[in-house]
Amino acid sequence: MSRDLAGVWLAEAAVFALVVAAILAERPWALGATGGALVAAGALVRFVPRLGAALVGAFARRRAAALAGGAVFALALPLALRSSPYWTFVATLALLYVTIGQGLNFQLGTAGVINLAGAAFAGLGGYAVGLATVAGGWPSWLAVLVGPWVAVTVGTLLFVPILKTRGHYLALVTIAFVFIFNILVNNLEFTGGPQGIKNIPTLSLGGYAFTTRPALAGVDLPAHANFYYAALAMAGLTTWVLRRLHDSWLGLALNTLRDDEITARCCGVSVTRGKLLAFSIGNFFIGLGGAFYAVMVGFVSPPDFDFGYSLVMLSVIIIGGVDSIPGVVLGACLLVPLPERFRFLHEYRLLLYGVVIVVMLLYRPRGLWPAQIRRYR
Amino acid sequence: MLGVMYALVAVGFTLFFGVLDVIHFSHGDIFMLGAFAGLTVLAGLKAAGLGGALLALPLTFAVSIVATGLVGVLAERVCVKPLARASPLMTLLATLSLGLVIRESVLIFYPRGADPKPFPQLLPQGGVELGGFVVRYENLAILGIGLAAMVAVDRIIKSTKMGAAIRAVAQDPEAAQMMGVNLDRTVDATFFLGSGLAAVAGILSGLYYSEIHFIMGVTGGVIGFSAAAIGGLGNVYGAILGGLLFGVLQTTAAALIPRGSEFRDVVAFAVVMLFLVFKPSGLLGDKSVERV
Repeated sequence: MSRDLAGVWLAEAAVFALVVAAILAERPWALGATGGALVAAGALVRFVPRLGAALVGAFARRRAAALAGGAVFALALPLALRSSPYWTFVATLALLYVTIGQGLNFQLGTAGVINLAGAAFAGLGGYAVGLATVAGGWPSWLAVLVGPWVAVTVGTLLFVPILKTRGHYLALVTIAFVFIFNILVNNLEFTGGPQGIKNIPTLSLGGYAFTTRPALAGVDLPAHANFYYAALAMAGLTTWVLRRLHDSWLGLALNTLRDDEITARCCGVSVTRGKLLAFSIGNFFIGLGGAFYAVMVGFVSPPDFDFGYSLVMLSVIIIGGVDSIPGVVLGACLLVPLPERFRFLHEYRLLLYGVVIVVMLLYRPRGLWPAQIRRYR
Repeated sequence: MLGVMYALVAVGFTLFFGVLDVIHFSHGDIFMLGAFAGLTVLAGLKAAGLGGALLALPLTFAVSIVATGLVGVLAERVCVKPLARASPLMTLLATLSLGLVIRESVLIFYPRGADPKPFPQLLPQGGVELGGFVVRYENLAILGIGLAAMVAVDRIIKSTKMGAAIRAVAQDPEAAQMMGVNLDRTVDATFFLGSGLAAVAGILSGLYYSEIHFIMGVTGGVIGFSAAAIGGLGNVYGAILGGLLFGVLQTTAAALIPRGSEFRDVVAFAVVMLFLVFKPSGLLGDKSVERV
């Protein structure tokens, strides 16, 4: 049994070390070596059945230890990235996408409610924070807590046309909504037009501003470390809540609803209520991600929330695995940092996203980390 | 004028839906591609010294229709057909992503693709005054070309063998196959037809606004789909009606509301949503919408 424990932690430490090395590698050859090592490690586990099975078994038997180890390494990441505030920022962004992705996955993956307006709901959260703090003079933390509810409320209004329609029409309604949202914030006076809302005050709790550089036991951490830890807490909490919901009767009912509405109805699942619940819960977390983004970056503007970002949010889910909660985490952690790492490909970023999604859908439609069949004990 | 273009895009949406029961979300970007194909052909003709509008215009339309139609067939082969048995969500996501790929490809690989491209003015300028309104020749020509394209589609669907096959497949693919209709060829033909129409719409849009931009496919696609939905998916005449109606809505909103030109799309989309609430099967919907 202690061999399992050692194996789990060793594997996690190896992945952590390689990822940090790959992020910090400055010369192309160093990047190539670390990236190659990561791919090689993955291939080794994949294609040496005994090693793969042993690792999978060890992780399955030592779930708690594995999660604890993962948490320790996640906490240690800013320490390892001390020399690079920029990468701490990117890591924080990835955690925001975990939050948003989990919300969207609950709608799209679990309940099958297509939502192509992710960017608009994140934008609602962000703009609500901007308006409440800059125009209303609210403290930031209160605005971040209230912002998501704006997304939920507007989402409920939008739900009226959605309720009557299905599939393709649902996509149409949500796409049209992204456009309406973008045109409105671009042209209305109180949202600042194309300039957006600037100078959103940063988060501060009890007089402690989140932009100060934290020092931990004498070690200075990068400036974004506070946000990183806040985002880590948020993403962790979101993942935990949605995991519980997914495993609960609600998640099961929503899965039934997604797979066959008539069957679900025959089994006593209220289609309207189920869809509305899933849609609202998802929008809450998407709005939360947007609200957090607003206080972290300090401004919101229309291009931050255009249709392209809806597609990025979708790609997170498809690459990770539809209806797969660990998959969403994996998808966000791959999709957000990778384009930053390969900045020379930045121009091709969206093109590559598109190609990757098409290829994934054709050849691996269940994602890199497919959802497991539910097991009940 | 706007309505005619929307109608042409909407017909594509409705044709694809009729034959394969899918929404081809990259259709808007195919419309954009048609406009760029037209621009490229025009530039090529100009370089070859064949700048005369009388010759250039038909040639541009012909080449762009064929090129865009082939791209449409390719899109169907890559993204739609292989996923025909998967859930509609998969097709939706795949075609959305394909649209992204087309859009970004034009942005990156077309020379200076990020800028709006001026589109040459080929149609006669000027106009005639009719009872207080100035009717521009250009608009009349666009209207004429658009209507001609619609009549052509109507003839193709009504009275050719391929049109009969398309109608048969739309009614019941299996029965059609039993009657000897080649399903694959019919689907290809439908996508060729729909994408060709999108190319016509794209060139008309270039002529109308005298500029095209790689981003035009996004709004163009959403509007085309909305128009098809208003008219009733699967019904070609509904799509035409929906397209014209959407154009009228936009123009009325732009004229009646203060700063309406900025908010015209908001008004038009809001009306579409209302339509979906109160009449989800569209104006002339012959295929009932699943509402279970």
